[in-house]
Amino acid sequence: MNPTGLTPMTRIEVVVAGEDLPALRDVFNAAGATGYTSIANVSGVGHHGFHQGRLAFNARDALTLVITVVPDESADTVLAGVQHLLADRPGVMFVSDTYVSRPEYFR
Amino acid sequence: MTGLDRPARARVRIDVEAAGRVVAPLWPVGSFIAVNPLEGLLDVGFEAATAQARHWLGARCFPDPHWLRAAHRAGRITDADLRASVLARQPHLDDHEVTARLGELLDLPSGPAAPGPAESTSAARPDRDLAVTIDALVAAWCAAFTDDGSIAWPMPGRREGLYLAWRQLAPHDPALRHLVGRRARATLRHLPEHPEDAIAEALDQLGVPPESHRDEMRRHLCRLPGWAGYARWSEQWAPPDEPAPRLSLVDLVAVRLVLERIAAATAAAGSPAEARGRGTPPPVNASGEDAVLWLDAFERHYRDELLTRLSRPAPTAARRRPLAQLVCCIDARSEGLRRHLEAAGDHETFGFAGFFGMAIWFRALGDPRPRAQCPVLVTPQVTVEERPLPGHEQTAQRRRARAGTASAARAAVHAAKTGPGGAFALAEATGWLSGPVAAARTLRPRRQARAEHRTDLRTAPTVDATSDGFGFTLDEQVLYAETALVTMGLTGSFAPLVVLCGHRGHTTNNPHAAALDCGACGGNPGGPNARVAAAIFNRAEVRAGLHERGITIPTSTWFLAAEHDTTTDTVVILDRHTVPPQHAGAVAALDAALAEAGDRLATERVRALPGANLGNPARHAATRAHDWAEVQPEWALARNAALIVGPRSMTAGLDLACRTFLHSYDDAVDPDGTALETILTAPMVVAQWINAQYYFSTVDPDVFGAGDKTLHNPVGGIGVLVGGGGDLRAGLPRQSVFDGDQPYHEPMRLLTVVQAPLERIAAVIDRNGILGHLFDGGWVTLAARADPAAPWQLRQGDGTWVPWQPAARTAHHLEVPA
Repeated sequence: MNPTGLTPMTRIEVVVAGEDLPALRDVFNAAGATGYTSIANVSGVGHHGFHQGRLAFNARDALTLVITVVPDESADTVLAGVQHLLADRPGVMFVSDTYVSRPEYFR
Repeated sequence: MTGLDRPARARVRIDVEAAGRVVAPLWPVGSFIAVNPLEGLLDVGFEAATAQARHWLGARCFPDPHWLRAAHRAGRITDADLRASVLARQPHLDDHEVTARLGELLDLPSGPAAPGPAESTSAARPDRDLAVTIDALVAAWCAAFTDDGSIAWPMPGRREGLYLAWRQLAPHDPALRHLVGRRARATLRHLPEHPEDAIAEALDQLGVPPESHRDEMRRHLCRLPGWAGYARWSEQWAPPDEPAPRLSLVDLVAVRLVLERIAAATAAAGSPAEARGRGTPPPVNASGEDAVLWLDAFERHYRDELLTRLSRPAPTAARRRPLAQLVCCIDARSEGLRRHLEAAGDHETFGFAGFFGMAIWFRALGDPRPRAQCPVLVTPQVTVEERPLPGHEQTAQRRRARAGTASAARAAVHAAKTGPGGAFALAEATGWLSGPVAAARTLRPRRQARAEHRTDLRTAPTVDATSDGFGFTLDEQVLYAETALVTMGLTGSFAPLVVLCGHRGHTTNNPHAAALDCGACGGNPGGPNARVAAAIFNRAEVRAGLHERGITIPTSTWFLAAEHDTTTDTVVILDRHTVPPQHAGAVAALDAALAEAGDRLATERVRALPGANLGNPARHAATRAHDWAEVQPEWALARNAALIVGPRSMTAGLDLACRTFLHSYDDAVDPDGTALETILTAPMVVAQWINAQYYFSTVDPDVFGAGDKTLHNPVGGIGVLVGGGGDLRAGLPRQSVFDGDQPYHEPMRLLTVVQAPLERIAAVIDRNGILGHLFDGGWVTLAARADPAAPWQLRQGDGTWVPWQPAARTAHHLEVPA
């Protein structure tokens, strides 16, 4: 389905430790992503058990969820970089189709 | 080779980032932060990380065998310690086999010899001189790129990054022309536009197979670990508004790889290059089991002594309300002040991270830039500004004007010094003035310091949210106040005075001055945080909010800010003008007690300083602080060994020799473990960084240390070189950890001692990966007990607990070969 008047894009969500955020941002920049949303201190359960997100005085070792939306033609760059990053670093990535109303914001 | 596509460039960047983890981020020396030099390898465990450091950096990672044997002869390591260490590692050995193993340990060197500098990379491998030449060239370009304005003609194109700026200038560099020769200069003019492409091209031409790309990149970064560390800081830790140009790992690798590629082509003169990056896999156990056993035995001896002392019955607590409660930083130097203050009168003391829970940007009066006053693990969200109190605006204005004039004068002198020929004219014009000032600083350092001291001015931090964006909301103030009180277990029985005592060092003409300041305040003096916290605790609205949350601070209690100068052991009460008159008597009594405690601590501490004048310790300590030729103003955190988390009753009355970080904790007010989790994931992580910094700066001062202070040459406002060039030096200066030729610091890994229910501790560890790495990876030993009556338990690498049993002391030593 392509909602009327909206433009298809790729939404990429990544959960990484705070110390890997700079590398992730580097990948986004390399792909030409124009922005991202970062949600710090996320908690959850993964295959290593419960991960604490609420650390009062340590943002570096808490988990962060980062969301970016890129044109389909830029998605490969992000996916290649994040897959390479997660090859030996903890974290997960979710990729999905999405639609935006202001495509010029994302190019 | 054509350029890479964007996904391939992204992969190159990730490879470089992964390769760079073998070096630690290097903070600018002005905000020196002690950091574990192997923090990027934390997740592989201590033994594997040290094996990698030995392989890549050519580093020694264990104490010197001769020093350990001397410790054995002195009884600081006993045969029983060694025997227990062997059995802990090889529990299947019988008594005869253990004895034989001890004989081997005493016969053999306790660790592999250092392999020397990191193996030269790729093209330079046949010629170490060539690698050194390339190192010097790249280091010089890094220094020019990162300069903060100390040179008159800045490197053009710095905003584009090191690689692109260098790419424009490299063809014109005479030193490069000499290195690469006339034929190769054309190559310099046609380098790829992207550093990732340059890296890929160079790796391809050097014949490095894809599976070895990261290793090859790592080898290049390990040739210049100081600059690589600074690049890691630039990329991962630098604040968004950092004015200095950002050095990136990708640019650094690109420049060095390109130079080696061109130099290799020149040297090979057309012969096929050997395939690069093959072989030399990191040795699995290069650190050597013997070295691990000796280190473990040394740590075991200290651990047994400490836990034995902590096992004695706690002294009976006084029932009456103390005159004052002093909350000090967990810094090991605070242990001495607390001990002597408690002995000097009816005072109670607590330990808490010296930023007192206030993660702030603090802009002091007249300071153009705010400073991040908090642990580097936190990014402050609130800015607090120091402003003059009503009636002091004119004094403040005069100070600002004076600061502006001094700043302009410094800028003028700097411009004259760096301009062509200006240095000569400056010397002629002002040399007569500099001489007497230098003489005064050398001969009468304390008097000169007093002459330079600023006049008094009454100010206050703007803690309350203001319309211009400074300060906290009321909810934030209440939250931070509650967090601090609960975390340190101070939730009732408040004294008439509660003193929040930050700390700072005091030294002159020392690029590493920040290393003496408060690590919990980002390498800054802790006074501003104490002032902000005290102001918040004294607000009626905050106390009302705390009361609603179950913490009642009586109206008869006043919070004071103070600052402990750890070099002179003087304690200054800050914002004294805000103290209500009814507390004047108590403050005067506290002043006297602090002075007495400071004098006693100075007497104790000065004895350990090289060349100390013991006749008047307090005076001698002050002289060292102001002497611009003094390279050892204080020992700072040397000999730090343990972090103790629990109530003061565990340690009260014990002389712990300023070797322990003390964090107050009361498990009764922390049923869900939130406070314990905060302590273990923040203050303990910072303590481990400090501990590891001292450890590695001692075991290999050449690789992990900053070198001899007398040879330091500050560069670009970001660090020091030893001599006129070369790599940026990380770590602590030699004089911070060595007394002459012998280590003063005793290198041992951090011991953390916690009094809390074991299941609570285990739950906190389970949900925080960083703690699993630290405790189970051999970086930190954890000892715990549920309550004073329970036996100590030691956490094992598999997460289980075993009861602590001290190694049986034996009088008989095996014969040690000379």
